[in-house]
Amino acid sequence: MLSIKNLEAGYGKVQVLHGISMEVPKGKVVTLIGSNGAGKTTTMRAVSGMIKPTSGEISLHGKRVDGLESYAIAKQGLAHSPEGRRVFATMTVTDNLILGAFPRLTGSRPKGDVPGDLERAMDLFPRLKERRNQLAGTLSGGEQQMLAMARAVMLNPEIVLLDEPSMGLAPILVEEVFRIIGDLKARGVTMLLVEQFAAAALKVADYGYVLENGRISVHGEASKLRDDPAVKAAYLGGGH
Amino acid sequence: MEILLQLIYSGVALGMIYAVIAFGYQLTFQTSDTLNFGQGDALMLGAMVGLTLVNMGVNYWLMLPLVIVFGLLQGGFVERIGVRPAIKIKSEFGWIMSTIALGIIFKNVAENIWGRDDLKFPSPLPESPIKLFGANILPMEILVVVGAVLMMLAVEFFNRKTIYGKAVVATFNDRDAAKLMGINTGLVITFSYALSSATAGFAGALIAPLTLTGATMGSVLGLKAFAVAIIGGLTSGMGIIVGGIILGVAETTTGFYISTGYKDVPGLVLLLLVLAFKPAGLFGKSAIKKV
Amino acid sequence: MNRKTLIAAVLGLALLAAAPLLTSNPYYVHMIGTIMIYAILLYGLDIVVGYTGQVSLGHSGLFGVGSYTAGVLFLKLGAPLWLIIPASIVVTAGFGALLALPALRVTGPYLAMVTLAFGTIIQILINEMTFLTEGPLGIKIPKPSIAGHKLSEHEFYWLTFALMVLSLVVVHRILKSQLGRAFEALRGSPVASDCMGVSVYRYKVYAFVISAGFAGLAGCLYAYSEQYISPNTYNFELTVLFLLAVIMGGRKTRSGALLGAAIIVILPKLLDDLEMFRVVASGLAVLMFIGAVVGIAKKMTTPKAMAIPVVGTIALAGFSFWLQSITDWRLSIFGLMILFVVYYLQDGIVGFARSLFARKSNADTRIASVSGKDAVMVAAHAGAGETGTDLLVATGVLMQFGGLKAINQVDLRIKRGTIHGLIGPNGSGKSTMMNVLTGIYVPTAGSIEFAGSSVVGRTSSDIALSGIARTFQNVQLFGEMTALQNIQVGLHHTFNSNFVDVSLHTPRFNREESAATERGLGLLDFVGLGDLAFEEARNLPYGKQRLLEIARALALDTQLLLLDEPAAGLTAPDIKELVAIIRKIRDHGITVILIEHHMDVVMQLCDTVSVLDFGQKIAEGKPAEVQANEKVIEAYLGGTVA
Repeated sequence: MLSIKNLEAGYGKVQVLHGISMEVPKGKVVTLIGSNGAGKTTTMRAVSGMIKPTSGEISLHGKRVDGLESYAIAKQGLAHSPEGRRVFATMTVTDNLILGAFPRLTGSRPKGDVPGDLERAMDLFPRLKERRNQLAGTLSGGEQQMLAMARAVMLNPEIVLLDEPSMGLAPILVEEVFRIIGDLKARGVTMLLVEQFAAAALKVADYGYVLENGRISVHGEASKLRDDPAVKAAYLGGGH
Repeated sequence: MEILLQLIYSGVALGMIYAVIAFGYQLTFQTSDTLNFGQGDALMLGAMVGLTLVNMGVNYWLMLPLVIVFGLLQGGFVERIGVRPAIKIKSEFGWIMSTIALGIIFKNVAENIWGRDDLKFPSPLPESPIKLFGANILPMEILVVVGAVLMMLAVEFFNRKTIYGKAVVATFNDRDAAKLMGINTGLVITFSYALSSATAGFAGALIAPLTLTGATMGSVLGLKAFAVAIIGGLTSGMGIIVGGIILGVAETTTGFYISTGYKDVPGLVLLLLVLAFKPAGLFGKSAIKKV
Repeated sequence: MNRKTLIAAVLGLALLAAAPLLTSNPYYVHMIGTIMIYAILLYGLDIVVGYTGQVSLGHSGLFGVGSYTAGVLFLKLGAPLWLIIPASIVVTAGFGALLALPALRVTGPYLAMVTLAFGTIIQILINEMTFLTEGPLGIKIPKPSIAGHKLSEHEFYWLTFALMVLSLVVVHRILKSQLGRAFEALRGSPVASDCMGVSVYRYKVYAFVISAGFAGLAGCLYAYSEQYISPNTYNFELTVLFLLAVIMGGRKTRSGALLGAAIIVILPKLLDDLEMFRVVASGLAVLMFIGAVVGIAKKMTTPKAMAIPVVGTIALAGFSFWLQSITDWRLSIFGLMILFVVYYLQDGIVGFARSLFARKSNADTRIASVSGKDAVMVAAHAGAGETGTDLLVATGVLMQFGGLKAINQVDLRIKRGTIHGLIGPNGSGKSTMMNVLTGIYVPTAGSIEFAGSSVVGRTSSDIALSGIARTFQNVQLFGEMTALQNIQVGLHHTFNSNFVDVSLHTPRFNREESAATERGLGLLDFVGLGDLAFEEARNLPYGKQRLLEIARALALDTQLLLLDEPAAGLTAPDIKELVAIIRKIRDHGITVILIEHHMDVVMQLCDTVSVLDFGQKIAEGKPAEVQANEKVIEAYLGGTVA
């Protein structure tokens, strides 16, 4: 469904990604792991259009999306739950979720049943249901992460990009987040998951890519990668 | 005592005008981190266009929505020509100078079309004052307050109840995240400029019957409204109403008790003081520096 | 300034001086005099606009203060010239300091509004304080007398000329000295300025005060030149004209200021003559059209980019034929000119001309640089102490933002002469710690002692000057300055010369300036950037920019160097070079705290490593120990969650 070929991208003078290639098949969860600074978030941003790649191809359902504005890519069915959550702090939980469905409510995507989806999202994320009229800025870090994920799901997307969902969360909340990712997987949602915490990511994913200094160093089935010493080396050095 | 109350009434009406202009500053600053230095001139154009329409025979009440439409177009124009290119090249200096330049051009054009003298704007309401709690208040002043409040309420309603309004608020909150929702933030910025000029123009048409209407009416008003926006903290709606009233009353009382020549001074001094001691405004929140 | 430019400048000035002899028409003499007076003001305005990069909308007010100081002193006290000139300068400089107060903590549009408010208040005060200023009636001032002899038009012209040249020289010297570099640093990166010991507040005030002084001098001369002053001259339009002059002429150049002054004086006269304007506008449209066609044919630009200027100039020409008089449209023309300059001619006419004739600037005389060893040794000498003793001791540091504890009870003990690594997953508090140590944040609780004295609550600039220097995660160089100049900003603390020393190029200043150049070159050699000394920092490749930032930090007589992810975004060969340089730094006796994600770098370099996670220290020890530590592995890989 999502295909990345030889992607190069960076910020100004700094080139972060030196030609990476990945595939995310429909219905699967693929994870991109690697230590900080390796380029994981840069990859997500390039895919969702927050930054423009310097070269390479990104295709969604066979259609090229590299170089498009992020709002155009969102309309194609790509939902991105960004690094740091980025919820709309002065708006309520409900409004945040409704905005997730913006393209559906304004004619850019098939409308479907928005109120129904809203209730279903609340069921999936019970903590949000309790706080539906609370301002998003007053939620805890973990609740904001739930909100960001639920908001992404409200698009009725083809694919969801989850960028470092565990960042800044206490271990117990990280558990809950990954449980929910598992639930989404069970419902057949296609996901690209970027994570610093390799162990948790590899547990929930079908397939994994390891990013090191802007290049894919190793990739394979998630279950096999878990025991691969190359993964540990990518994070803590000493190995190659 | 009676005079003081009268001064307060006039001050409140004046203050509401400042609040409406300040509201426009807030709008564009929140969505794009830029503001229109020619905001005062947008108010002036609203008043002048309104005057022309009224002199052509258009009913005052019909004229108001027409002025709003004109304001929308004028604001969009300013954004396209002056602000968008500067945002693209990431030049703060750029949009500051271009909005100043556009303001100067609008003022000059107005001078040439309508002349340099101040003109009388026919009042749609009776000009004789009403007595309220023992002091005089002009019906027009009441209209100004009502009109300003209604307009700000309308925008609030738009922001809270419609999906497009929510998209605008989302852009205030986090531009990048809004884009991820499929919101075209460039259009939102253009729209916020359009709305900002429309509200200023509307304010101009409201206040015109109360003061002298001329090509120069906008300049100092724009500056003082900025003071109000700063006091309100550039993010708080309530703050600008309070700030506006404080300033309006301070001005009318200074003008009466000291001298009309000095009436502009309190606002300007207030601006300097607030920026010297509490740049985030009396109501705003200061941002944490991130390095 | 090189030979050719100097000769051209002298010739130009000689021509200017000879003007009254070349033309018999007093109108032109007066006009050129006005141009010179405006130029004096613009030299000063350029400091604020061109160098510190702020928009000032208040300079017409300062100009007014200068004129009215002269006027009032003459009217009320009958004061003589030799008193009035310095008085105008000093009083206006005082107003400049007053303006700087609210302007200190704000920047960008807020600063512009502050200056606008200030200028407006001044105009109102001049108008209303009739007991002092005669208000709208204005003040008449005859030409001044020197020693009983009343100056003729020509003699006054030469006085103006002399003062203009004096101003030119003084401003030029200021801007080429450490003061000028400090001003430019403010624009390049305020955070880096503070961390290099250049206090942003202080230099902002200096910039306003100095530019106000020049505005005062100009205002005083203007009063004598016009022989009549009134409040409505010093209005918003004038201030906008001044800005137009600076940006159209070209910022950061003296010739640009003169050219700009000429434009704003001559242009209104030009615009009074409609025929002339029609000719000029048509000519401009034709030129623009030809230029666009040539540009598109040569693939230097696209039709889309050229559309607006071409259509605009044609419309302007057409409009000029439709008009009866152009005088009323002056302001619109100025407005259009501003728009044009802001988008198409950002460096002004002089800047544009320079870029056309760009030559690679090279060192005229290769000054012998201090050897690398000495450049850094000078630094290390400052902090004599035994290797292994405690240099920095942080105890119980707590940094709380609202409900979030970014640093939660962290103890850190940095030993002299070591490289101490600080690592941890994203969001663990490493950069926050860095900011706390350099005074960018004040810790909520806890103590931090550096070489015996407390760091908590001191300003960044103060901390920098006591021996703690840093680099930044996102490179914060002063882009428009050369590599050498960047380092010289770091060397700012070695200058004791003040405004007078700089203006007069006293022996003390000359000594300090060449010492700074020598030492700066030495530091550049130390990091291997010796031959890039005269390149603009923004043009350097990324890896070299990082090294430059390190060299600049070393200029502070550093005892403790904080490196914030220096290897981020570097290629493998660059990283190798970086590691070697960090080792060299340690070998020279400088203690280093290194925040890094590249584990290889950390393992190779560090003597000790502290690991943070969720704002707390979870491990500390030698690199190999830490690498094998269970808790650390979990923190990074998320073992517990698996």
